[in-house]
Amino acid sequence: MRHTLIALVEDRPGAMNRLLGLLRGRGLAVHSIAFGESETPGVKRTTVLVDTENVDQTMKQLNRLIEVLDVTDVTHSQFVVRETALVKIQAAETRRAEIKAIVERFGARVIGNSPQSVVVEMTDTPARLGEMIARAKTFGACETMRSGSLAMALGAAIPRDQPVLADDKGRPWWSQADGAA
Amino acid sequence: MTDTGLAAPAASFAPPPSSVGSAERTGAQIMCEALVRENVEVMFGIPGGAIMPFYHAMWEYRDQLRHVLCRHEQGAGHAAEGYARSTGKPGVCVATSGPGATNLVTPIANAWMDSTPLVAITGQVSSAVLGKDAFQETDITGITLPITKHNYRVTRAEDLASVFHEAFHIACTGRPGPVLIDVTKDAQQARIVPDWGVTLNVPGFHAPAGVDQRAIREAAILLVGASKPLILAGQGVIIAGAADELRTLAERTGIPVVTTLHGIGAFPEDHPLSIGMPGMHGWVHVNRAIQECDVLLSIGARFDDRVTGKASTFAPRAKVIHIDIDPSEIGKNIKVTVGIVGDARTALLALLEETPARDTAVWMRSIRDAQATHQHRQPYLRRPDTTELMPHDVYAAINCALATRGGYRVITDVGQHQMWAAQLIEWQRPRTHITSGGAGTMGFAVPAAMGAAIAHPDETIWAIVGDGGFQMTNQELATIHQEGIRNVKIAIVNNGYLGMVRQWQQLFEGKRYSGTPLSGPSFAGLAEAYGLRGFTIDRIEDATETIRAAWDHDGSAVLDFRVEREANVFPLVPPGSSIGEMITREEVTA
Repeated sequence: MRHTLIALVEDRPGAMNRLLGLLRGRGLAVHSIAFGESETPGVKRTTVLVDTENVDQTMKQLNRLIEVLDVTDVTHSQFVVRETALVKIQAAETRRAEIKAIVERFGARVIGNSPQSVVVEMTDTPARLGEMIARAKTFGACETMRSGSLAMALGAAIPRDQPVLADDKGRPWWSQADGAA
Repeated sequence: MTDTGLAAPAASFAPPPSSVGSAERTGAQIMCEALVRENVEVMFGIPGGAIMPFYHAMWEYRDQLRHVLCRHEQGAGHAAEGYARSTGKPGVCVATSGPGATNLVTPIANAWMDSTPLVAITGQVSSAVLGKDAFQETDITGITLPITKHNYRVTRAEDLASVFHEAFHIACTGRPGPVLIDVTKDAQQARIVPDWGVTLNVPGFHAPAGVDQRAIREAAILLVGASKPLILAGQGVIIAGAADELRTLAERTGIPVVTTLHGIGAFPEDHPLSIGMPGMHGWVHVNRAIQECDVLLSIGARFDDRVTGKASTFAPRAKVIHIDIDPSEIGKNIKVTVGIVGDARTALLALLEETPARDTAVWMRSIRDAQATHQHRQPYLRRPDTTELMPHDVYAAINCALATRGGYRVITDVGQHQMWAAQLIEWQRPRTHITSGGAGTMGFAVPAAMGAAIAHPDETIWAIVGDGGFQMTNQELATIHQEGIRNVKIAIVNNGYLGMVRQWQQLFEGKRYSGTPLSGPSFAGLAEAYGLRGFTIDRIEDATETIRAAWDHDGSAVLDFRVEREANVFPLVPPGSSIGEMITREEVTA
C-alpha cells in the first residue's frame, strides 16, 4: 500500500541518490518525492510517497543509510498534505476572464500571462489539484508541473537543532519498532 | 589497470619528505598517515594513473604499510577480505580509477553480502576534468552506491583525514561492511597542513550500545517454556567474538546448536550439542529439527534463502527469537516473535542472566536418532562400484590432517567443493572456515587465502577450490610467489565441470550439460610455472601422503585432486522448496 514517509536527511553529496537508489533497489515504486531545506542548516526534509507492503522494513532500510537521521511514517497519523501545481493553459485572450473565474473558485490564481497562454498556480491536496487540472484541460492544451506531496504531522513542533536519536522514552530509534510482537 | 596515460594536466609530484620543511603534506601523504593511524599494516592493490600520487607517498611509509601488488583488482579485493575475515580487522584494497575501480566491484559486493569490514581506496581523475568522460573516468561512487555501507568522493585534501577516520569507523562499527573512498588525483597532489584533530560527525550512524532488557526477558520466558528449543548461530556470533558465550548458553540450557555456513566455527562441531549445518545442503536431521522445534533462537544470522528454503514453510511450529545487530534484518525474511537488536555477545550475556538450566534430553535424543538414520558422514560417500578418487576421500584426508596438525584456516570458494567442505570437515574454531556465502563469488578462495596467509604467517592456510573457481583468479599465484608467501596450500577438487551447475542440470534439467564441461591446464604444471610446488593426485591411496608432503613443503603449493566427475552434493533441498523436502543420495541412486 502507499505510505507517506517523512525523512530528515543530512545534506551530503549523493544523499537523495542513495535514498532513491535504495527504494529502487528493493523494488519499491516511488509515487512522489519532495525535497528541500529543513529548519536546520545542513539537514533536508523530504516527503516520499512510496508503495511498500512492509513499511517497517522499508523504514529500517532507510535508517541504515548514513545520511538518514530520522524516518517517520505518518500514513496512519494525523497529518496534513499539500501539493503545489503550476498549470499552463493555452487559451485565447477572449477566454482569460472565464479561466480566471473558474480557477479562483478552486482557490487557484493566475500568476503569468502571455499571448498564447496563462499560468495558474494552485496549492491544495493532490486530489483537488487533479480536479482543477481536469477542468483546466477543457479550455485547451495544458502543461502541468507538480511539486510532489508535502506532508506534515500534527502535534508538537520538534525543531531538529540537534539530530534526535532517541524518542521521548529515551529509547534509541533502532529499538522503537522492535521488541515483542 | 596500470596505465600512466593522464587526462589531467601533468602536475609535479610531491617532493620526498626530506625536502618537506614545514608541516605541509600532500593529500597522498595524509592518506598514508591516516592508514597508519587506523593501524593498517597491509593493503592489497594495483597502481595506475589516477592513484599514482598515493603510490608515490606510499614509498615513504613502506616500513609501516606493506603493499601487496596483486595481479587483478578482484584478487586485491578478495585478499583484503581474506585478511579481514581471518583477523576481524578491516581489510584495505587499492585501485586506480576506471577499470581498476570497476574490477573492485565484485569483492565490494561480496563484502557487502558477507558483512566484511573492507575499505576500498580508488584514485579518480582530477576534479578539473570530473564529469568530462576523461581517460579512465568512471563514476565508481555511483556504481558502488547500493553495495557499500557508505562511500565518499574526496576532491579536497582538507577532507581526507576526517573521511578516512569516518570510513574506518563505519566499516568496522555495528554490522561490518565495505566503505569506498574515491580520491581525485588533484586532492592527492594538493599540499596542505593536515588537521588531525579529527572528530566523528556521523549523526545518522549508530551502533546499538546495549540490548532491550524487556525483550531479553521475553526471550528467556519463551526458551524456558519450550520443549524443543533450537539455537541457530550465524556469523554475527563470530564477528562479536561471542563463541564462548554461545557455548555457555548452550551448555547451561542444553539447547542444541545449528551453525549456518558463515556461523561455522562459532560452535565446535565435536560438542555434544552441535548438530550441524542447516539449509539447502544441510543435514536432514538439522532441517527436520528446525521444522520441529517450538522455539528457534537465532543469533547473528539473517535467514538467507539458502538457509530457509521456501520462507513461508520455514520452522512452522516455532516462535522465533531473532538477535541481530542490524535492525533491518529483524522481520525481513522470517516472522519474528521477539526481536532483539544488539551485538551478539552483549545479547548472549544478557540472556545468560535470565535463562536457567533445563533438561532437553528427550528432544536431543530424537535429533540424534534422526541423525543416525540420515547422516552418514563418511561411508555414505563411498561408491562401491568405483575405485576413482571420490571428492569425499579428499575431504576425509584433509579433515584428518587438519585435526592432527592444527594451526590452520580453510578458505573455500563457491560450488560443490564448498558444500562438501562445510559438511565433511569437523569445524572447531571461529574464523577457521572462511567462504563467500551471500554473494557466492567464484574466484574468492585463492586471493582470500593469500590475504589470510599474510595475516597469519605462522599458520597453514588451505584454500579448497573447484577447477572452475580456481581458473577465475589463479593469476594470484604470481602474487603469492612474488611476496614470498609460503603458507598457502591450494586443494583443487577437480571434476572437469562447473560441478554445482552440472548437478542441477542432472537433477532438474534432464542432464543437459549446457556450458558446464570444463577443461584446464595441468594445474600442477601451472603451479610449478609460477614457482610453487604442484601435485597431481588421482588415487585414493595417494591423498593422505600428498597432503602430508604439501603441508611439510616449505612453500606454497597446489594440489590437483582429480576426482570422480559426477559426484553430487547431498542432501539437497530443491530451489524454492521447503527445507523439510530434501533429496538424499539414496533417493536419487535408488
